[in-house]
Amino acid sequence: RDGMDGGDRARARQHVFLLPEYFKDASKKMKSGLMFVKLVNPCSGEGTIYLFNMCLQQLFEIKVFKEKHHSWFINQSVQSGGLLHFATPIDPLFLLLHYLRKADKEGKFQPLDQVVVDDMFPNCILLLKLPELEKLLQHVTEEKNPEIDKKKYYKYSKEKTIKWLEKKVNQIVAALKTNNVNVSARVQATAFFSGDQASSDKEEDYICYAHGLVSDYIPRELSDDLCKYLKLPEPSASLPNPPSKKVKLSDEPVEAKEDYTKFNRKDWKTEKLDLLTGYFLVAAQRQRRDK
Amino acid sequence: MESSDEAAVEKCRIHLRPGTLRDAPPATLHLLPCEVLVSRPAPVGRFFTPAIRQGPDGLEVSFRGRKLRGEEVVVPPGLVGYVMEEKGEGLVGKGFSEGSSNDNEQEQLELVEPPEALERDFDRFIGATASFSGFTLWGLETIPGPDAKVRGALTWPSLAAAIHAQVPED
Repeated sequence: RDGMDGGDRARARQHVFLLPEYFKDASKKMKSGLMFVKLVNPCSGEGTIYLFNMCLQQLFEIKVFKEKHHSWFINQSVQSGGLLHFATPIDPLFLLLHYLRKADKEGKFQPLDQVVVDDMFPNCILLLKLPELEKLLQHVTEEKNPEIDKKKYYKYSKEKTIKWLEKKVNQIVAALKTNNVNVSARVQATAFFSGDQASSDKEEDYICYAHGLVSDYIPRELSDDLCKYLKLPEPSASLPNPPSKKVKLSDEPVEAKEDYTKFNRKDWKTEKLDLLTGYFLVAAQRQRRDK
Repeated sequence: MESSDEAAVEKCRIHLRPGTLRDAPPATLHLLPCEVLVSRPAPVGRFFTPAIRQGPDGLEVSFRGRKLRGEEVVVPPGLVGYVMEEKGEGLVGKGFSEGSSNDNEQEQLELVEPPEALERDFDRFIGATASFSGFTLWGLETIPGPDAKVRGALTWPSLAAAIHAQVPED
């Protein structure tokens, strides 16, 4: 069967993934509990595929690397597209924040199971199963603990959230320095000097860059507030961009071609993730038809 | 209005079978600098692999008459590479159907009644068919340099860790 009859069906699509090593050990103990689910993207508000590990009680985001003109040879097969999927842990607080901000429009304290409700993405109830939620929520909410029942009541706090985000930014800045990520416009030039390019970057470049990274997980409005709070230069004209295009922010100080931020934005975008979603959708429908 | 099909997919969970992560045999992967439009079996071991040579600066091979240069790229520490396929689509070769032993059968049994199947009808299953700890990265004429985008992508996990680690409390 080599396609001469025109009935050659491409083999099942192969997805190339990088997963945390410890999944393997955890898998010894679990029979199930690893699943891909569609949840809200806290930046765009659109649906995005996440990986939920019930055994480790951890949420992972899926990023897909895709560059034009690539394909895989996998053993004795060819897989077009050359996609490389990464599953990396995501702070669930970003997703919870989406619901807390939404619920805040009602302006009152509410128990969490009334906050995290979503007709579009019913799998959001999985978020309530994550460990140490109460501790996490302290970063972004005010809480009340009335005597009447055992539930805690929460209300979004913008002040606390901004402070929490500032800590995130500081944490990212430290990592950027450790990893020697080029954050300035001098990327091309520094490629010629093997020396200490990191130390030649300005602190503000790092903060801008980190702000850009964290902005991928929060809505535009909050990103702008954080920008002001950090006293960063105004982002380029804040047009009412559609959510998926909002990420112009930290492109501003960086024009170098090989800049990581741009790479990060252009090649990792949500529409790329939808390739996976789209595939799953088609596969699910086909499967049902076949039954 | 959303079709009921789409609504179902929103609820859909795609389960990754943990056992397959444990048993996935090692695979050889090459990332080519060109688009091959169809995904299908290919005699890589007949035409491509035997033609790979160790050149003065890296590996050399040719594909469709073009010269490729490449080198081994290692999966970042703490991660393992997997090739995953969805079950039940006429898998060629080592799919799940041919999987070894009772372990597989046990899992099959278990799948009939997964403990948390809320939307059982629409739940789907995916599993690893192979694993890898590195792959060969190929460039046209030259080895993809240190600023190749794939290399940038491979630094993502360490950056992601910093973005998503819990912050210290006040």
